[in-house]
Amino acid sequence: MDALAVTLWILRLAFLAAIYLFLLLVVRALRRDLRVSVERADRPLGRLIVLSATGGTPAAGTAFPLAAANTLGRDINNSVVLDEDFVSARHAALSYRGRAWYVEDLGSTNGVWLNGGRIDTAAPLGWGDELQVGGVRLRLERQPSR
Amino acid sequence: MSTAPGAATTVRSAGGRRPRLRRREATLLGAVAVALTFGWISLASSQAGRATIGDPTPLVIFFVLVGAAHLALTWWGRRTDQILLPAAALLMGLSLLLMTRLPQDTVVQAIGPLRLRLAELQLVWIALSLAAATLIAVGLRNDIWLRTYKYSWAAGGIVLLALVFLFGEETNGARLTLRLGPLAGQPSELLKIVLVVFVAAYLADDRALLAGRDTRLGPLRLPPLAYLLPLLAMWGIALAIVVVQRDLGAALLFYAVFLVLLWVATQRHRDLVLGLLLFVVGAVILDVLFPHVRERVAIWLDPFASAQGTGFQVVRGLFALGRGGVLGTGLGAGLPGVGGAPSIPAVHTDFIFDALGEELGLAGALAVLGVYLVIAERGLRIASAAGDDFRALLATGLTLVVVLQAAIIVAGNAKLIPLTGVTLPFVSYGGSSLLANGIVLGLLLALGEGRLGAPRAETLTRRERLGDAAHALGDRVERAIT
Repeated sequence: MDALAVTLWILRLAFLAAIYLFLLLVVRALRRDLRVSVERADRPLGRLIVLSATGGTPAAGTAFPLAAANTLGRDINNSVVLDEDFVSARHAALSYRGRAWYVEDLGSTNGVWLNGGRIDTAAPLGWGDELQVGGVRLRLERQPSR
Repeated sequence: MSTAPGAATTVRSAGGRRPRLRRREATLLGAVAVALTFGWISLASSQAGRATIGDPTPLVIFFVLVGAAHLALTWWGRRTDQILLPAAALLMGLSLLLMTRLPQDTVVQAIGPLRLRLAELQLVWIALSLAAATLIAVGLRNDIWLRTYKYSWAAGGIVLLALVFLFGEETNGARLTLRLGPLAGQPSELLKIVLVVFVAAYLADDRALLAGRDTRLGPLRLPPLAYLLPLLAMWGIALAIVVVQRDLGAALLFYAVFLVLLWVATQRHRDLVLGLLLFVVGAVILDVLFPHVRERVAIWLDPFASAQGTGFQVVRGLFALGRGGVLGTGLGAGLPGVGGAPSIPAVHTDFIFDALGEELGLAGALAVLGVYLVIAERGLRIASAAGDDFRALLATGLTLVVVLQAAIIVAGNAKLIPLTGVTLPFVSYGGSSLLANGIVLGLLLALGEGRLGAPRAETLTRRERLGDAAHALGDRVERAIT
């Protein structure tokens, strides 16, 4: 075997090895990402952003982190307290069941509106959907990952 | 304050980005550079017959381009995904190596006094593709205009399709190319992006409609008409593309992407089953009615029956894969180009995977498939972290467009499914393909940016008022269509 053939052979294998080295580095990075997302599994499931409120409170842009089961209302025992005149004491329930969010009217005076339509039974909703509870307009958003 | 203490935090505003190191991306790009340099030396040495690095100018230009993209993302403080760019860069680099290695006169284009050949042209397309990706990743501030004008996008896409139907030129028996003066392009590459934007916006906005009650037709319980219609419409468009344009690959890709997106949006398995049934029905109808479809199936079942005729490409491709073996013949030592002419027709576009399999072997081919898997993982991760349904569906669709297209053409080259002519994303020669995939890459990177389209302050600047006027105009167009 002459020197050239050996050189070419080594170069070829070095090329392939380098490509696999790249893949190895990528896989390491992916595994690290996976670990990080497992560690963050207990963060809030989502959040409600206040778009506007008739009285100015809560202020637009306020974000409420959400757990699996949440109640919305004026009473301070709710997990999301909306102190606004048109909100009932216990107004609505927002829960994460299985793979989707559901909103339910808890017998409020002024009703719960989902994307502009009033709901009468538990209604499914997704990221980006708009809720109106009393005079407060809210949007359901994913919890930012950072 | 009336809110529960500690329960509320104010959303951060979207401004104020400072340069931010992207160390992981830098490391991976370094690994890509090392691999491509070895490949370049290997290619140059085997062509020259002695150990040499040849003329590394194209490779150096390529490194500078990728480095510039990396620096742009760093300078403007992007926090988006750090693995997509290196993965795409590796594929583009391999593309440059293969194009340098193939007979240079396969494609020649004269621009003024310049006479650009295969590798030089590909380098230009790669530059444009990277520029598009970087511009979108850095410049895209919000995605409202993408989702609001979904019907305008769809209409634009259909106009594009109609133009190709009417004025398209034939390439390899498929009517794909649209020529506008000196510029020629394959609109189906751009059309796939438009399609994904439309379908994502449609599914995100009308999810409630789609999840509605079933329609009853006598004893039959059918899914709601509202969602049957888009499914049937998409099916019809795919059939029309096959019939009029003879572009089986694009039709298969469009339909598959649509079906998976529908399934992702509704999370109902029966949608997938229904779609597959429709696919089978359509495939059988096409096979019975149209000779060009039947021919593809015949070649797939037995390419050796017509090895010197219609099956020539496929047979040559299979020989090339066989010659490659496990470790390949080495760059420059295979037979993709014998005596100045490619041994497989269309080796630089549809059959690039066979050239890759021959010279890099099973090991190299599997590594390339691995890179596509990585792109899939990153894209779907961006989708699952997206802030709302539209972005999640858009990221899913964009990822699918790249990965499914790669799967379709690789499976076609390896005779796993009938061959359908689409390009291998980021690797095949071609301006339209590279540019479209660059846009996809840019959009994915922009979507990976967590703060995309954060709520704006109430005060309107003059620029925003101008923007509102543009929105009003767009709304009027939108209403005219719907």
